[in-house]
Amino acid sequence: MNLPDIDDENFKLLTQITEVLATVIDPELQVNILDLGMVYNVAVKKETKTIEVEMTLSTRHCPMGSAIVNSVENAILQNFTTYSPVVNLVWEPAWNVNSITPEGKKQLGV
Amino acid sequence: MSTVIEQHPNLYKIVIAHYLIAAFTFLALVPMLLFSVKDFGGHYFQPHLLAITHTAALGWASVIIFGACYQLLPVILETYLYSYKLAWFGLVVFCLGLLDFVYSFWVFEPGLHMQCGSVLLLTGITSFTANIFITSKKIKKPDIYQDFILTACIWLLVTAVLGVLMVFNFRFAFLPKDHLLFLKLHAHAGLGGWFLLLIIGVSAKLLPMFLVSEKTNVNLLKWSYYLINSALLLFFINTYIFGLNTFTFIIAVTAIVGVICWLTYVYQCFASRIRAKIDVAMAHTILSIFLLAIAIFVLPFIIFYQLKADALAVRLTTLYGSLLLLGWISSLILGQTFKTLPFIVWTKRSQHLLGSKTTLPANLFDNKILKGQFLSFLLFTVSFSIGLALKIKPLIYLGVVCFSVTAVLYISNVFIILFRTEENEPA
Repeated sequence: MNLPDIDDENFKLLTQITEVLATVIDPELQVNILDLGMVYNVAVKKETKTIEVEMTLSTRHCPMGSAIVNSVENAILQNFTTYSPVVNLVWEPAWNVNSITPEGKKQLGV
Repeated sequence: MSTVIEQHPNLYKIVIAHYLIAAFTFLALVPMLLFSVKDFGGHYFQPHLLAITHTAALGWASVIIFGACYQLLPVILETYLYSYKLAWFGLVVFCLGLLDFVYSFWVFEPGLHMQCGSVLLLTGITSFTANIFITSKKIKKPDIYQDFILTACIWLLVTAVLGVLMVFNFRFAFLPKDHLLFLKLHAHAGLGGWFLLLIIGVSAKLLPMFLVSEKTNVNLLKWSYYLINSALLLFFINTYIFGLNTFTFIIAVTAIVGVICWLTYVYQCFASRIRAKIDVAMAHTILSIFLLAIAIFVLPFIIFYQLKADALAVRLTTLYGSLLLLGWISSLILGQTFKTLPFIVWTKRSQHLLGSKTTLPANLFDNKILKGQFLSFLLFTVSFSIGLALKIKPLIYLGVVCFSVTAVLYISNVFIILFRTEENEPA
């Protein structure tokens, strides 16, 4: 995921959302979903008061899929009380190990 | 865009019931083994050994596999289980049947109790397979993993039907061939058809997930599937018509090549893994594969000595059976319990808390106890196997003592996972 653009009118909010998403970890791998490269895009819709997260999972049938999606929603609900979370799961581009950031690889012991 | 499948509210209780029953059955194996040490020196077709084998294969291994299947299949198939009532019905009749069946084997009363027990077991198994098959009808794109699981269920039914026929044959002697010949078919349908195919199917799906592997070669799995099933079918036809003969070697080699294809797949998953650290649960899995490899190594010697009508074939068969049931399958379950059960419990209790400060699945059990369990189990396999192979009774006793320690540590950790409260959870 690209870092928020400083020219974006929601820059401050997007930065805070990124920090919050960095607290959501994959329960099996114990690495946060940003460093695992699972989050593709974050958008703030002020008119509908929603925070939209476009993300993927390591596999379509990930047993922890619902847990990770729920935790993203929980994290947003707890930290941005005036917004509703919308998590869109996408499978293109498919997640692969190259999606993991160097920090994520370090945490996995690579 | 897509959504993920949520856990069905009725799933937790049925899965936990299976895990608990399996854990208590594993513990029940301790006194059974202690009272049967002297029997390990004789023929494997013996009341106590048959009781132990069926307790381990059905009450321990199959029950926990049923539970794990109920948990995993909705995830793999992306649909809910067909019927939770049928799952409960299957479990109850299966357990009642198992008690009746194992007791009548232990005291060797091949009458009404054994017959009722076997029919109840068959009913439980039929309920399980019906549930799985009806659930799988919703699959839109069948793949090799599902082929393994569904074919394993067919072999389980074949095993159970053969078992029931043999039980009734004790009283009515209607089978056209020797009872021990049917025992060979029954055992291999169970070990090679049910356990091996199911373990390959599930592990092929889960190992790359747990290890975060870069490389998974599905072609190897396809080869494995066709080779193992061909070997089993050929074994059934050839052994039924001609008994064991030199062609059995070729069949054994076919099956072994099939297993090697799967092991190569597993090796590639390990070699291309991103996650460097191997935890104790995965160490158990590696040990289980090693024990399977030793059992496979013993197999040609059994055929060789059987063809020579050498008594060593009997002892090697007991060793082979114990390496597979108490070694390979048990080690796998002892490890994978701590990969699956914490997640099942955590998903039920704590996933709504994720995103805030909460414990993780891997912290729900005591890792020191798990390490102790691994070491005691390792000692068990070494001393028990050497004791069996060389007929050294003190080593068999030592093995059983280590097995007892393993069972106590295992059930303690299962209880820690199940009954840990929010207050005593580690941060």
